Amino acid sequence: MNHGPTTLAEDVADSGEEAALAVKDLNFYYGDHHALHDITMDFPARQVTAMIGPSGCGKSTLLRIFNRMYDLYPGQRATGEVMFDGVNILENTVGLDVLRARIGMVFQKPTPFPMSIYDNIAFGVRLHERLGRAEMDERVQDVLTRVALWNEVRDRLKAPASGLSGGQQQRLCIARSIATRPEVILLDEPTSALDPISTARIEELLDELKEEFTIAIVTHNMQQAARCADRVAFFYMGGLIEVDTADRIFTNPRQKQTQDYITGRFG
Amino acid sequence: MTQERSHIVKSYEQELDQLRAMMAQMGQIVEEQVGLALDAIAKHDEEAADEAARRDPEVDELEREVEGLGIRLLALRSPMGPDLREIVSALKITGDLERMGDYAASIARRAMKVASEEGKVSLSGLRSMGRLVRENLHRTVEAVVNHDPHQAMEVWHADRGVDEHYLTLFRELITYMMEDPRTIRSCTELLFIAKNLERIGDHATNIAERVFYAVTGDNLPTLRPRGGVRKSQQGPPSE
Repeated sequence: MNHGPTTLAEDVADSGEEAALAVKDLNFYYGDHHALHDITMDFPARQVTAMIGPSGCGKSTLLRIFNRMYDLYPGQRATGEVMFDGVNILENTVGLDVLRARIGMVFQKPTPFPMSIYDNIAFGVRLHERLGRAEMDERVQDVLTRVALWNEVRDRLKAPASGLSGGQQQRLCIARSIATRPEVILLDEPTSALDPISTARIEELLDELKEEFTIAIVTHNMQQAARCADRVAFFYMGGLIEVDTADRIFTNPRQKQTQDYITGRFG
Repeated sequence: MTQERSHIVKSYEQELDQLRAMMAQMGQIVEEQVGLALDAIAKHDEEAADEAARRDPEVDELEREVEGLGIRLLALRSPMGPDLREIVSALKITGDLERMGDYAASIARRAMKVASEEGKVSLSGLRSMGRLVRENLHRTVEAVVNHDPHQAMEVWHADRGVDEHYLTLFRELITYMMEDPRTIRSCTELLFIAKNLERIGDHATNIAERVFYAVTGDNLPTLRPRGGVRKSQQGPPSE
């Protein structure tokens, strides 16, 4: 097995497929702390790319860069390139509201808005599109159906979303993120707060959504990454150690560090 | 397979060690069985023949234990990477070893039948085939225990010699039978013995392939260089 240097070989970083997001020489800083080092990798269109690694390795940081979450915080900055639809999203030429409609995000804990189930979906859509009543009803039903929530909530669309179970709330958040018809969906540990059945539902959903969307998921659950992802990237201490097909990463990774991590030998 | 680091979970590491120990033990018993069976042929040693057969239940029991532990590891540890390859390979290797044990017991039983008709045919070809199979088996078990892909590859190539021996023996025994039909009974037993030895060799190559995969993550080619039969030649019937 090749236990070579931890820098990423160019040929592995390039998936050879159409990239929805192309990251190049990306560096990120929390003030003086250099959190991501020279990351270069593609997120192929309509595939699930999972990011794994121990806590603090930079995987969530990378995810948050993609919809410029860091703009909220002074002292945080990114250098390099994240190409999305021909534009480097790190440059301020892209409006944040437009960017976040096209690159949706779902968080670890379900974050429904304090409003009705219906309005949770409609709220984001209204910011970007002018839809008539019937069209909006149709959009709400469509996305709720796609996350397999419609049958469970069709009779209580006007009820507060906070009354849903954790798993239902998370599916509602996914429905909300696809309602604005994004190209990319970012998921940060979307099932870590859910029971196994709800987790299975979300994983099933990811499988369906990838036909239409590009999905980037951060997860601590390696079996989940193995089940859901087409490609897997392993991060360690702010560096991208290895990115390859899920098959390769979980049966025969190239790098010793990846091997130690996936087999549970990390000290 | 050999790791410099240990698992964070000690009991996982212990279970993997236990699996390795069971594989080594199983390999050792099968080696002894094959050795006893060959002694039974070479020395007409009835006690060796009985002993070879008596050890079979031990191998069967170990196979069940390896399967039980392997399934437990898969279910509880969700192994990844080299651990996954090692456990899945162990589950397959244990089946190969069990079959080898069966063949050894069968050889021992037949050896006694041949012994009663001693002197009618020469056993020298069978003896040298036996020596080669035994040597290959020993090196195969070593490759399993030491996680040695290079040795696995050598064994894999060496099986060609076993196939060639088998073909030569097949022709030789046919000739005996044509020359003197009174040898048909013992020659048929010897043919079965030769076939069983050849099968033991094939299982050794299977094991070599699995060791190679477990350690490197790569597969050996599907087609192994084979000794023996070409279409134009008269050869033994294939199974």
